[in-house]
Amino acid sequence: MNDSVIQIKNLVKEYKGSDGTIVRAVNNVSMSVAAGEIVGLLGANGAGKTTTLRMIATLLQPTSGHAQVCNHDSITDPVGVRQSLGYVSATTGVPDRLTARELLTSFGRLHGLEEDTIKDRLEWLITTLSLRDYIDRPAGRLSSGQRQRISLGRALVHNPPALVLDEPTNALDVVGSRDLLDTLDHLRESGHAILLSTHRLHEIEHRCDRFVIIDTGHIVAAGTRDELVGDSGELEDAFFHAIEKGAHT
Amino acid sequence: MKDSPQTADAYDLPHGRPPEGNNFAAIRAVTGFQLNRLMTKPRIAMGLVGALFPAAVMFAVIRTAPINRDMTVAMIYALIPEALCVLGLLVTMCPVVADELERGTWIHVTVRPGGRQSLLLGTFAAAVIWTGGVSLVSLMLTLLIAQPTQPIGLVVMFTVLIGISCIGRAALFAVPAVILPKRALIASVGVALVVEYFAGLLPAVVNQVTVSLRLRSLLVEWMAWRKDLPIEMTLFVDDYSAPVQIAAVCILVCILLTTAGFILNRRQFPPSVEN
Repeated sequence: MNDSVIQIKNLVKEYKGSDGTIVRAVNNVSMSVAAGEIVGLLGANGAGKTTTLRMIATLLQPTSGHAQVCNHDSITDPVGVRQSLGYVSATTGVPDRLTARELLTSFGRLHGLEEDTIKDRLEWLITTLSLRDYIDRPAGRLSSGQRQRISLGRALVHNPPALVLDEPTNALDVVGSRDLLDTLDHLRESGHAILLSTHRLHEIEHRCDRFVIIDTGHIVAAGTRDELVGDSGELEDAFFHAIEKGAHT
Repeated sequence: MKDSPQTADAYDLPHGRPPEGNNFAAIRAVTGFQLNRLMTKPRIAMGLVGALFPAAVMFAVIRTAPINRDMTVAMIYALIPEALCVLGLLVTMCPVVADELERGTWIHVTVRPGGRQSLLLGTFAAAVIWTGGVSLVSLMLTLLIAQPTQPIGLVVMFTVLIGISCIGRAALFAVPAVILPKRALIASVGVALVVEYFAGLLPAVVNQVTVSLRLRSLLVEWMAWRKDLPIEMTLFVDDYSAPVQIAAVCILVCILLTTAGFILNRRQFPPSVEN
């Protein structure tokens, strides 16, 4: 057993294009996330962030390489991975007609939890994510921030130790984003391993413990903010510097 | 903020795995979820129109000329277990994957331990319940208008036929729905025409794997029509007993759902497909 909750090694994903050519969306990506850590996966649109996260979450099968969550391998033990992982995406997929309570209860059942466990988890989620004011309101009448909070609740309903978030603040305003990221800070404190992809660098610059910068499927830089930024001053500058450097190698 | 009742360590392998989960509850959750989606005003209106259609046809026919009991039964069979059930299932079963992709819920469902199987079986159950419900309402309305003799026997017989039609055809449509999610409706219409209404009417071995053969054979047996059938019509029905016909549909359903589940488990959608 190793200390990393999420670990990926030499992950490769190739797609066959409509003209028959092979497109390598993710190329030899390796990284890890420990318990109580937030790692930011940074990259432009189409860099390979979503594909990487979906391979970790067993939604896509790697062409080669390995992804593990809590020592469960995504290929040999996908069920173990799914039980240990919560997944949040930019599109919340929260149905308008259901209330947060109905949705979270449904997903608790979908996860195979017992009714008593679901009730306990629901109470924990209501408190932790501050859902009490709108838990029984149809989701169609909620703001984007509130819907994303419910989506986070859906990912946490089975109390997974690992959390993967794919551009969770995309549809949120500044208040909603800060609110969500504050919650992630709290989850980190309670021991969750969090892997978060985004291209809104300013939002997470001071939130993540480490960063991995990905471009055209490759990791072009990785490290803490201080390691990446150096003398350049801003994470954004370091990001562009890493991408330019990656393009020339 | 309260701490999570279980820490991350609780899920590490040396401390034991999390519970495997209750698969039946997961399927029930998806069924409830899908039925909730079907209970919108447009869908209810569509169901009502579907339910009224056979009754309206029957009304138009008996207003023109009185028809005997056998003709009434043949008409109800063609309109409800054959036409209405197929139409209802096309609407409810075909979007099993496409709807989830379109609504952005696919990843949230399939990232659960038994998510894909629960999605398939839960949608299957919801499609059968919704279509079966609409068909039963339609049956009652049509019988009310036709007023045949011995209606209770017909209610029982058609309820079984509707049930078999819904279960068999929902499983049949599940296969194109998982192979071609974005073209599921067209593919399923093609399957219905080619398999059910073409192969099913071929007097050859191929018709043994169709639901329509089983339904026709059950209708002929339960209505005791076999001895009166013209010789050329006997080619379109099977000689086996009712329990054999029902068992054959059950086996077919198991094979189709297993195939659909196997394919669905391997389906991968690049992020671009969902956008």
